Amino acid sequence: MEFGLFMELSVPRPWTADSERIVYQNALEQVRLADELGFDYIWAVEHHFLEEYSHCSAPDIFLSAAATMTKRIRVGHGVVACVPQYQSPIRVAERAAVLDIISGGRLELGTGRSATWPELSGFGANPDDTKKTWDEFVRVIPKMWMQERFAWNGRMFSMPERAILPKPLQKPHPPMWVAVTSPGTEIDAADRGLGCLGLSPGGFADSEKKVLNYRKHIETCDPVGAFVNDKVLTVNFLSCCEDGDLGRRNGLKVASMFSYMAAQLLSAKEVLPTHSYPSEGLLPALRRESGSPGDAAKGFKGVTMGTPDDVADAITAWENVGFDGINFIHQFMEVVPQQYVLDSMRLFAEEVMPRFKTRDGASRRPVAVAAGAGVA
Amino acid sequence: MPLAGSLDIRPLIDGSPEVVLDEDAALRVDDVDILQVLYEVRVADRESLVPPALNPTIPPVISFLVYRAKESEFGPFALAQLRLTARSGVRPRAYLISARCDNAELSALLARSWGFRVTPGDIAMRRFHDRVDCTVSETPAGVSRGLVRTILDVSLVDPVPVTGHDVQYPPGMHLARIARDGVLVPRIVQVDSEYEFRRADRGRPSLNSFDSSAWGDDRLVPDIAVSASFAACDMTIANVRYICNPDIPASEGTEKVSDR
Repeated sequence: MEFGLFMELSVPRPWTADSERIVYQNALEQVRLADELGFDYIWAVEHHFLEEYSHCSAPDIFLSAAATMTKRIRVGHGVVACVPQYQSPIRVAERAAVLDIISGGRLELGTGRSATWPELSGFGANPDDTKKTWDEFVRVIPKMWMQERFAWNGRMFSMPERAILPKPLQKPHPPMWVAVTSPGTEIDAADRGLGCLGLSPGGFADSEKKVLNYRKHIETCDPVGAFVNDKVLTVNFLSCCEDGDLGRRNGLKVASMFSYMAAQLLSAKEVLPTHSYPSEGLLPALRRESGSPGDAAKGFKGVTMGTPDDVADAITAWENVGFDGINFIHQFMEVVPQQYVLDSMRLFAEEVMPRFKTRDGASRRPVAVAAGAGVA
Repeated sequence: MPLAGSLDIRPLIDGSPEVVLDEDAALRVDDVDILQVLYEVRVADRESLVPPALNPTIPPVISFLVYRAKESEFGPFALAQLRLTARSGVRPRAYLISARCDNAELSALLARSWGFRVTPGDIAMRRFHDRVDCTVSETPAGVSRGLVRTILDVSLVDPVPVTGHDVQYPPGMHLARIARDGVLVPRIVQVDSEYEFRRADRGRPSLNSFDSSAWGDDRLVPDIAVSASFAACDMTIANVRYICNPDIPASEGTEKVSDR
């Protein structure tokens, strides 16, 4: 199993002149520690306009800082919004390449398309088109990285022949992923030979079905890049503490706050009748309709919270579902003290992580499978 | 924490309907046409749009939700609502600002059973091949019948088919008064409706006129067009199952009043 940290960079009100700096500093301290402790990934999201929920609108800059202060951890630039009104695919390829160079070839590129109305309408993007633009972005970005000069005449994006520079350090190119929240997106990921970056902590049965679907489809995929990334990661909440009650209490604080804040977001689907967004946005399992105002953290089994044994048991359950790794949301809206977050990470690395790794720190599962086919 | 509502409900309580909870109160209407048009509104103080029980959405979005039925147990009717997107805990909801209805008997039932803040109005919904138009007009109190004024003129333009699954009508949250322990107290009534769709279309919204003060909150000035939909369906307004104290967050102040 592989383990990562997922950074939303949420900033609770009341905002002071220093609020955002403190959140960013805390996050960078967590990244530095995660690198020392042997975590595999650090992911930073891309969100815009989402007050409190995420102030991470320039993740490549945050990750550049993270890359320069770390040596080993993989740098997850994701989920990058593959929506032309947000940014051209040229800019995604260029910035990702710079990040790959700065990090010494540690970039992972996560792709997606945004699901909230404030973001999509804020940039003037048409929610009906985002699946199409995402599809075109993921097909052109690896070509931009690999071809000396690149030209494209597509449905959503075109450009004359130009040299897109710099090129990433990793050859043939960095691994690519797709954020999976909407039902069926795991198949889109598999068909294109892209890694499955799960963002919705659903139930075991739903998750197993998704993983099986993904594994089945990726066997016959037509990769958009030069190789297949066949990893499937899920997301969970990490709170590891010798005092199991305190671990669960603090973990539930993070999970409840995350779920509550995610539920406040105005999803595109909620205000615009569209086939393009079949889910209810983020965390559909937690937002499933019922009559009452709801308990934000209810209904989510397999949370990685409590004593090291509790956490390990939960990870084993997810491993048995078929996941290759878990990205943890370990802090949100600064609801638990920074020192607790760091201690939880340390305990997890000492007591839990070794049970899922071989002695050299490698994941027990094979990683990316080379497809061999180059991209024309 | 997300922004919490701060609307001062005291001036609204006296005019709010008195709801009698009745587990048998359910209203089924077949062959209902529904027009829904959504606009973002730009308001500096977003919290002040909804009561403390609810959270405003960012950005705030108003919806014009119009039902028209050619027949029902109360005869033909049309009901036009002005609602505001909100959250009750983690659930998407729509806070009712006010409503107009052209059927007096039904209006009384809607107010008594579900807390619709409804006053008389003339509502016309017209379907064309390429658009659906709706106007709502009223005769101000003390003015002769000939001096009607239009308080809403809205359209869906260029409809294209979608599925009923694509259209969302969040449950309504209606400020009302309810007897609890023999005392009449302010409560927000959650109004759950079920829909069986036969067709649904989506189109561009077009707003020709809207008198926000006539609807009860002159701060609700439409800014950015969001969407418009039309649906034909059978509809049931279910009996009230949840009410909540308007003064405290719904996640803490909600009371279940029926298991049905």
